[in-house]
Amino acid sequence: MSSAEETDEQEIAEKSDEGPGLLLWLTAAGGIGMLAAVFIFVPTERTEGIVQRIMYFHVPCAWVAFFAFFIVFICSILFLWRREREWDIYAHASAEVGMLFCSLVLITGPIWAKPIWGIWWTWDPRLTLTLVLWLIYAAYLMLRLQTGEGSTRAKYSAIIGIVGALDIPLIHFSVLWWGSQHPSPKIITSEGIGTGIDNSMGITLLVSLGAFTLIYFLLVSLRVNIEKMKDEIDRLKKQRLYSH
Amino acid sequence: MKNLGFLFAANLAIWGGIVFYVFTLMKRHRDLRRDLDLLKETLNKESSK
Amino acid sequence: MNSYLGQIKAILWKDFLTEYKTRELFSSMFVFAVLVILIFIFSVDLSLVNSNEVGPGVLWVAVIFAGTLGLNRSFTLEKEDSGLQGLLLAPIDRSAIYFGKMLSNLVFFLIMEAFILPVFMVFFNIDLLANLGPLLFVLLIGTLGFSILGTLLSSLSSNLKTREIMLPLLLYPLMVPIAIGAVRLTSHVLGGGELGDMMNWVGMILCFDVIFLAVSIMTIDHILEE
Repeated sequence: MSSAEETDEQEIAEKSDEGPGLLLWLTAAGGIGMLAAVFIFVPTERTEGIVQRIMYFHVPCAWVAFFAFFIVFICSILFLWRREREWDIYAHASAEVGMLFCSLVLITGPIWAKPIWGIWWTWDPRLTLTLVLWLIYAAYLMLRLQTGEGSTRAKYSAIIGIVGALDIPLIHFSVLWWGSQHPSPKIITSEGIGTGIDNSMGITLLVSLGAFTLIYFLLVSLRVNIEKMKDEIDRLKKQRLYSH
Repeated sequence: MKNLGFLFAANLAIWGGIVFYVFTLMKRHRDLRRDLDLLKETLNKESSK
Repeated sequence: MNSYLGQIKAILWKDFLTEYKTRELFSSMFVFAVLVILIFIFSVDLSLVNSNEVGPGVLWVAVIFAGTLGLNRSFTLEKEDSGLQGLLLAPIDRSAIYFGKMLSNLVFFLIMEAFILPVFMVFFNIDLLANLGPLLFVLLIGTLGFSILGTLLSSLSSNLKTREIMLPLLLYPLMVPIAIGAVRLTSHVLGGGELGDMMNWVGMILCFDVIFLAVSIMTIDHILEE
């Protein structure tokens, strides 16, 4: 499945001016390594069975989503401070890719939960936090669509990027304490790396974390290229307008 | 090997999602590239006139 | 510093005077809040559930929904007849405009709550008077957080084409900590509990207030620019 995706990415890389050559090959290698580790290397987990392999995709997706939103936060601050279009582009690209992975977390979560816990959804703090994050950044991207081009859009989205990221710890604690009021089964507590995880599982998880981070950087660089191309077109159009 | 369907569905969602996103990016890239080339061409023609 | 307070006071006074002359905002907010409470009562069977558990949630949903009407009005009113431009041209600090607007929103919300509370008390058969002190404190810190973030976002969304749509979409997910915390605290207080048992919630809401007040002061210059 991943080979088709790689050829697509290759085409783009060849066409774009500053193609992400090295990054593309690294990501391809990471992707193949990850698939090999997940489907061949790691042994099937005893209690959960084969479904547990979803974890090696689900957790990295969640990591990438959080990482992407953190990058949005940093770029938003840098934009308001330095007022350079560059940071706005990075924030936009990162938010869009983060949104993709956040959606993937929300889709794979229930698919994993159903065979293991017998339910699609539980109001576990982590699930709730992810859902609220999805809503915040959906609004962020809609704000970008609603506002016309220019510095107004960049300023407004930077403010939402900052407010949203600062809200994350508060939302985390509120849903954590809220969840503890409802008697719910303690399910995902031993999920963290280290405790109760076999060595080979830890290695596989690390490999897929790395691979997904590379995919994140590749997608962001593609998205940034598109935005820069739009800027170039705008610049040429203006130039043509003024030359007449 | 039970629950293979769930594993398949999750993989389909993830890779399908990523590939779909890459496709939309490619399409946008192609359209923009065409616009850009057209624009450059017209600019060149106008300046040579 | 004295003149800074004077500037805030002038903006507050201007908003009160507008409201006193038109009386369109307050009445619509109050009627809307009563409507929200009514719809919830219809959708939940009060003979089956404990009204002490459902009531606080309904109260806060009514406050937040009705408050959104007020927030939408707050800056669009300024946009009409270029009132905001006049404000921006006046030799006052941008953060003073924010503070004035935030305080006037806060006061409107608190007045609205003062009118909803008796309605709420009668409809849900909850005795509010027994725990009035802690209840008012919870209402104050929750509403403060709502008006702090709400004023920032309403000043931002007032410049958008689809402002009525974007304000709730942006505001509600960011309001999650207040919504959960305030409802928890209210139901705890109405059940006769001590505020001291839930200091973590109080601390979190106060953190929310302080953090977003700081963010608003730092970023309001970028919004009220043109």
